[in-house]
Amino acid sequence: MRAGGFVFFKTNHMSGLLRWLIAAVVLSAAAFFMGEYHNDVYRKLLLWVTLALGYNFLFGICGQVAFSHFAFYGIGAYSIVIFLFQLHLPFPIAVLCGIALCILFALAVAIPSTRLEGFYLALATLALGQLFIVVLNEGGSVTGGTGGIANYRLPELFGMRVRGPWYTGVIVLLLVFTYSILKRLDDSWFGRACRAVRDNPEAAAAMGVDVARTKVIAFTLTSALAGVAGMVYAFVDNTVNPPIFGIENAFLLLFMVIVGGAGRHAGAVIGAVLLFLLPFWLSPLVGHHHALVFGVLVVAAILFQPGGLIGLWDRFSRSRS
Amino acid sequence: MRFLALLIAALMACAAQAQDTIKIGVITDRVGVSKPYSEPATEGMVFGASEINKKGGVLGRKIELLVEDDQSKPDVSAALARKLIDQGAVFILSVSLSPATQQQQTVTMEAKTPQMTPMNSADYLTTQLNNPYFWQTGPLGSVQIATLLAHAKSKNLKRVALITDNSDLGQAIGKAFRGAIERAGIQIVDEEVVPLGTTSATAQMQKIRSANPDALFVAGVVTATNVLIFKSYRELGLKFPIHASYNLSVPIYMTAAKGLIDGITFVDAYDPEKAEVKAFEAAYRKETGKEPVNLHGYGYDGIMMVAEAIRKAGSTDKEKIRAAMQSMSYEGVMGAKGMKYSFPEGKRAGFDPNGMVVRVYEGDRQGRVVHVGQK
Repeated sequence: MRAGGFVFFKTNHMSGLLRWLIAAVVLSAAAFFMGEYHNDVYRKLLLWVTLALGYNFLFGICGQVAFSHFAFYGIGAYSIVIFLFQLHLPFPIAVLCGIALCILFALAVAIPSTRLEGFYLALATLALGQLFIVVLNEGGSVTGGTGGIANYRLPELFGMRVRGPWYTGVIVLLLVFTYSILKRLDDSWFGRACRAVRDNPEAAAAMGVDVARTKVIAFTLTSALAGVAGMVYAFVDNTVNPPIFGIENAFLLLFMVIVGGAGRHAGAVIGAVLLFLLPFWLSPLVGHHHALVFGVLVVAAILFQPGGLIGLWDRFSRSRS
Repeated sequence: MRFLALLIAALMACAAQAQDTIKIGVITDRVGVSKPYSEPATEGMVFGASEINKKGGVLGRKIELLVEDDQSKPDVSAALARKLIDQGAVFILSVSLSPATQQQQTVTMEAKTPQMTPMNSADYLTTQLNNPYFWQTGPLGSVQIATLLAHAKSKNLKRVALITDNSDLGQAIGKAFRGAIERAGIQIVDEEVVPLGTTSATAQMQKIRSANPDALFVAGVVTATNVLIFKSYRELGLKFPIHASYNLSVPIYMTAAKGLIDGITFVDAYDPEKAEVKAFEAAYRKETGKEPVNLHGYGYDGIMMVAEAIRKAGSTDKEKIRAAMQSMSYEGVMGAKGMKYSFPEGKRAGFDPNGMVVRVYEGDRQGRVVHVGQK
């Protein structure tokens, strides 16, 4: 067990830092060996993995069934575009304002939501997700309505414009950054507090965990991370539009975490990779029946393998040892 | 040495095979929200391509359609556009959701690959991005409303009611209807919304009855709620005419609203009396054994125009195809009699603003044209 709470990257963690760095380099380097199409799928896959990791922390580790994750992804994406190209703020300020906006919205949802749990939190956040889409569609020239916003490009930073496989590198950094934060938190006192709140809030409170505060922090943090991911998404295709942030994607995210194995980082990664790539793999083989395979997979995971695919792996490695 | 010669021969054979066909990419939706529209349009394209190939193809080469399913997800759609370009598609036809078509444009614009949507109606597709490689021949949403309003004006309506559902698109079309009706100087005496998932629209229709309008405009796009509206209309024995959005041109109403739709007028881009339509329908029936609907026509016109552009360009060079497409004037299946798609003065939305028609349901069948254009 590692003591040390919130302290990141202590000197004795230098080898850990090196590990992160190597992972980032390998994941980014892969992009340079891919064609345009595979690179694009890879970029979008990495974003889904990032989102699934964040959502897994909220849902799997902290036990909050929330459907607002995609709305925050969207708030991040739309806010960076609006701040940069309609309000003409400088890039770093636009990024900070975008993050601040996500945190503000997250707090506005999380603080009243501490009175809600389970089913009611799910409903409240579902409503937020729906409301967000309505706002996007009705937002006139600010959000671009049903067509969203297009016709913009990533501004030049230090005289350079990051694009192609180099932009894949940016997404890899986002993923590694998100994962390192979540991993550190999970391994810390806070992660244990979250699990305690998930499993038995009364017992957690009796042990001195501030249940409401833990929930608010977990919700706000994961929502802000989703917002940052959204900012990165905004420049993948240089367009943002409402269907990307729709409620069905929030459900897909939930299924990814469940199929992979809720509460486990590796599970979130496996679930996201599998469910995102499934239609790409299956379409050429079985046509539109890939939707059926998806449904069967989700039902089978819930009925027969509540621990998800990572649970299967655990059983396999246990029986081998 | 012999091995090397064999290898070179094999490679050349492969190259010759690749040269054989002209690849046209199609991005459709087989599982998502636009499936009911995308599928018939795609079938129309497949039929069109087989007709072209039967007549010897284009420039002596057969057309090969590479069909991809984007599930109506715009981000997946953009990735698929890259895939099609990687696979050598010289043109991409988009019949999925409008935002999906828009997101594909960010790719085709960069890759300088010609792209067209023969069906999408969103006005922003050719205005938001300055993409010289993109065209739209689906009738614009604004044209649909203007055509319906022109028909209403010819009926000398003074007081009308408006009803829609609470879906995103239903609300958007309702708003557009309201604006257009008010601009036409017609008074809206009542406005009702039927929420999705409800089991009856009788309360809303009773309110409309008490407002006593000259006509009712239906802007809803969800089949289930529209059927409820028509059911209450019949049950209450209402007599004022119903003018409906483009949504009523979808063939599902002929079966889902059996016995309820006689006399309802709706805006469409399809005239069953047109010679081209009759020829198309006969050929489609003969080839597939199935009954074509208006949506098949969009896909058919799309592939025919692409083939025509390649023929005019005289090569599969994307820049030459672009120039040929921009100077195109083409009379197809869709649109009023004599309507031609064209892109004058650099415009890239090619459906003639006077090319839409208003039709009327006769019994349960989509019947004759009762009004043409915006005049």
